[in-house]
Amino acid sequence: MSKLDLTRRQFMGVFGATAAVAGLGLVGCGGNTASTEGDEGAADAALAGSISCSGATSFQPLVEKAADAFMDANPDVSVAISAGGSGQGLSQVAEGSVQIGRSDVFAEEKLEADQVEGLVDNQVCIVGMGPIVNANVDVDDITTDQLKGIFLGQITDWSEVGGTAGAIQVIQREAGSGTRATFENAVLAGETAPDSFRPVAEVDSSGTVVEQVAATEGSISYVAFNYMENDGIKALSVDGVDPTQENVENGDFLIWAYEHMYTRSDEDEATAPVTKAFIEFMLSEDFAATVVEEGFIPMADMKVKKDVDGNITEIA
Amino acid sequence: MANLMPKRRLENIGLGITGFCVALVALVVVTLIFMVAQQGLSTFFVDGMDPVAFFTGQNWIPEQERYGALPMIVGSFAVTLLSTLFALPVAIGSAIFVVEVAPGFGRRVFQPVIELLVGIPSVVYGVLGLYVINALVKAVFGDAAPTGAGILSGALVLAIMILPTITTLSMDALRAVPNQYREGSYALGCTRWQTTWNVVLKSATPSLMTAVILGMTRAFGETLAVQMVIGGVERSMPTGLLDPASTLTAALTAGLSNAVSGSEYYHALWTLGLLLLVMSLVFIMIIHLIGRKGAKANG
Amino acid sequence: MASRSLDAHVARIDRQDKIATGVLTVIVGLVILLVVAIITYIIVRGAGRALTPGFLTNPYNDEALPGILYQLWDSFYLLLVTLVISVPISLGAAIFLVEYAPDNWVTSAAKTAIETLSSLPSIVVGMFGSLFFVVTLGWGISIIAGACALTMFNIPILVRTIQQALEDVPRSQRDAALAMGLTRWETTLNVLLPAAMPAIVTGVVLSAGRVFGEAAALIFTAGSAPARLNFGSLNFLSPTNPFNIFRPACSLAVYIWRLTSEPTAGSTEIVWGTATILLVCVLLFNVLARLLGKFLSRRLTAE
Repeated sequence: MSKLDLTRRQFMGVFGATAAVAGLGLVGCGGNTASTEGDEGAADAALAGSISCSGATSFQPLVEKAADAFMDANPDVSVAISAGGSGQGLSQVAEGSVQIGRSDVFAEEKLEADQVEGLVDNQVCIVGMGPIVNANVDVDDITTDQLKGIFLGQITDWSEVGGTAGAIQVIQREAGSGTRATFENAVLAGETAPDSFRPVAEVDSSGTVVEQVAATEGSISYVAFNYMENDGIKALSVDGVDPTQENVENGDFLIWAYEHMYTRSDEDEATAPVTKAFIEFMLSEDFAATVVEEGFIPMADMKVKKDVDGNITEIA
Repeated sequence: MANLMPKRRLENIGLGITGFCVALVALVVVTLIFMVAQQGLSTFFVDGMDPVAFFTGQNWIPEQERYGALPMIVGSFAVTLLSTLFALPVAIGSAIFVVEVAPGFGRRVFQPVIELLVGIPSVVYGVLGLYVINALVKAVFGDAAPTGAGILSGALVLAIMILPTITTLSMDALRAVPNQYREGSYALGCTRWQTTWNVVLKSATPSLMTAVILGMTRAFGETLAVQMVIGGVERSMPTGLLDPASTLTAALTAGLSNAVSGSEYYHALWTLGLLLLVMSLVFIMIIHLIGRKGAKANG
Repeated sequence: MASRSLDAHVARIDRQDKIATGVLTVIVGLVILLVVAIITYIIVRGAGRALTPGFLTNPYNDEALPGILYQLWDSFYLLLVTLVISVPISLGAAIFLVEYAPDNWVTSAAKTAIETLSSLPSIVVGMFGSLFFVVTLGWGISIIAGACALTMFNIPILVRTIQQALEDVPRSQRDAALAMGLTRWETTLNVLLPAAMPAIVTGVVLSAGRVFGEAAALIFTAGSAPARLNFGSLNFLSPTNPFNIFRPACSLAVYIWRLTSEPTAGSTEIVWGTATILLVCVLLFNVLARLLGKFLSRRLTAE
C-alpha cells in the first residue's frame, strides 16, 4: 500500500510534468521505445534501458512473469509487454517499432522472405498441444487419422471413432491463430477441409475453447497442455500416447511448437544489451522452473527439434 | 490588454483559432478516408485480386489465401435487418405511448429509463449476450444451436442496443408533429388511435425513417457486442439464423491481430474496413435523401 | 338503420382504440421491465465481487484477490487525456460553425466531415488509429494513440452539443453585446460561452460516459494487455509510470472484452464485477452531468 502514498503536492508535480511531456511528445517521438536512462558507456555496470515486447498472447503470462523477475533483478530496466497477436508482433519487430516480437509460429510462415532476413529467431520454450473433448464424450484415445477425418469434416459421428452415437461438434480456433496452425500442420498433413465444412464456432483464444467445449455436448477442439486441467473437458491421447511433457521431449507426442521471441539483428545499441539479457534470462536454468509451472517445456530438456516445415529430428 | 488590440486583429485571431479546429477535424477525416481507401484498395491494385470475386466469394479462408467477403457481408446485413425488425415495433410502440397516450409519464419516467440503456457500454451488452442470450438460445433450440452463438443471438443483442436509439428519435419525431394536426383529427370525431395511425404517424414518416436508419447504422457498425456472441465462423456462408457466422466488424476484430501489416490478408481486412466506411457513408446519404424528400413533401 | 351502423362503427373504433392502447401499454411495460431486468441482473451478478474489499485497490495480478486498480486508473487517465484533446478542438469547431461559418462549400464540407465521423463504426476508427497514430506518427501502442482514437469518436458528439448550446443562447444577448461594439470573438468569449456553459459542461460529462465505456477503438491503439503500474515511479518515460502517455494501457471496457475472449479460471467473476463497476461509473457520469448542469445554471443565473 505504501506505493500509493502520493501526497497531493507530488501528485500535482507529477501531473504538471506529464502534461509538459505530453505537449512536447505530440510532435511525434515514441517515448517508450529505445530510451535509455543510464550511461551508455558503462555497459558492464548496471543494465539500463527500456524495451517493448509485443505479439502472441499464448505465452504472454509467462513473459510477464519473466519481465517481473527480470525487472526486480535490474531496477533500471523496464520491459513493456503488450498484446496483439503473432501477426502484430512480427510486423512490429520487422518495422522496428518494438524490440521483441512474440510469435507462436515461424516468422517464415507470416512474413515475406526479405522481412525475415533481418530477424533473429530466439526459441524460448516449447508448447505442447492436444485434442480435448467434452467430458461426457466416451472416447479416450484417438488416432491421428481419425483426428484428421474429424477436422476435415469426413467423420461426423462419435460412433465412427468408437464412442456412443452422437454428432461431433467441431470447435475451431480463428483463422491465423498460431495454435491452429500448429495443430493443422501436425494433424492435417497439408490437406484442407472442404468449403462446405463448417465448425460450430471459431473462437479467439484457448480459454474460450475450454469454456465452449465444456458447455457443448459432443464437442472436440484442441488446446495447449496448460489448458487441459479444467472441469468439463478431458484430454485425449493420440495414437495411444498421452499428452505429457516427457512424451513431447522424447519425440513420441507430435503436436507441439516453439514459442519464438524474434529480435532484430541490427538492433539499436542502446537497447540491444537489455534485449539480449532478457532473452538469456528467459532461457536460463533459474527460470526453467517457472516455465514448467506455467505449462510450457523448457528448451534445455528437448531431445528432438522441429524445422520450419514441421520435420522432427533428434538433437545430435 | 486584449481591449487595446485592434478589433479587426482580434476578430482574425478568433477566426484563425476556430477555423484551425474545424480544419483539423476535416483533415483527420480526409486522412482517414484516404488511408482506409489506400489500404483497402491495395487488395485489388497491389495484390491483384478481382473485386467481383472478392465481394461475391463465398469462402473466407486466409490460410488458403482465399478471400471471399460474402459470408461477412451477409452476416452484417442479416444481423442489422433482423435486429431492426425486432426493435422497430417495440420502439415505435413505446414512442407512441409516451407521446400520444401518457406524455407526463413519458417525460418523467420513460425518458430517463430508456436513457439508461443508451449509457450501457457495448462490451457490457456483449457480456450479457455471451452469458445470458447465448444460453437462452441454446436452451430453447437445443441441438440446432449447440453453442447458442449465431446470427439470432447477435440480432437479439443488437436489437436491445438499438432500441433506445430508435425509441428516442421516434419520440422526437412524434413530438415534432404540430398539435393542430391532432386537434383537427379529433374535431372530425376520430379516436386517439385513428388520429395516431392516420395523421400523426403519416406526417412523421420521414423522421421515423431517419430514426430507423440511424438505428441500422449503429447495428451495422457495432463491433464487440456482436463479435462476442456471433460465433466467428467466416469460412463459408451461414445457412440459417441459428448458424454461427461473422460480421464485417467481428472479422476485423478477430483478424487484425493475426495479420502481418502489408500482407494480402492484412489488405483484405482493410478492404472489409473500407466496405464498412462506404456503408456508413451510404447510410448518411439515405438520411439526407429522406430529409430532402420530407422537406419537399411538407412544402 | 343508419344510426345503428354508426353505433356499430363507433363501438368498433372505440374497441380498436382500447386494444391499441392496451397493446402499447404492454409494450412500454415490457421495455421498462427489460431495462430494470438488465441493470438488476448485471448488478446482482457483479455486486458481490465489486464490493469485495480490495477489488478496486488490488492490481490484476494479485494472487489472493485479483483487482482492477490499474484498469480503473487507465480508464480515467485515458478519459482525461481524451477530454484535454477533444474539448478545445470541439469548442473551436463549434464556435466556428455557429459564429463564423461562411455559407459556402468549406462550411458544408466541414459539416459533412463531422457527420461522417459520427457515423463511423468505432472499429474503423481503431484500425485507422492503429495505422496512423501507432505506426505513421510512431507513437506505438500507447495512451496518446488511444486518446486520439477516442477523440475522433468524441468530437462529433461534443461539437453537436456545444453547437446546440451556443445556438440556444437568446438572440437578444448576442445582439446586445454586438451593439456595444464588441467583436464577434469578444462576444463569444465573454457573453456566449458563459451563458452556454451549463449546457456545455453537461454535454462534456455525458460524452465522458460514452468515452469511458468505449473499447473497440482502443484495442489496437492503446492495447489490450493489462498495464503494470508503479505509483511510486517518478520516471516519466518508464512504461510502469502511471502518467506516461507513451505506455500501453488497458481500460475497464477493454479488460472485460479481453477476459471474455481469453477466459481463465475465475475470470467470469471478475468480468461481472468489472461490468458492474463500469456500469456504475457510466450511470454516475449521467447523474453528475445533470447535477452539474443544474448547479451551474443556478449559479450563473443568480449572478
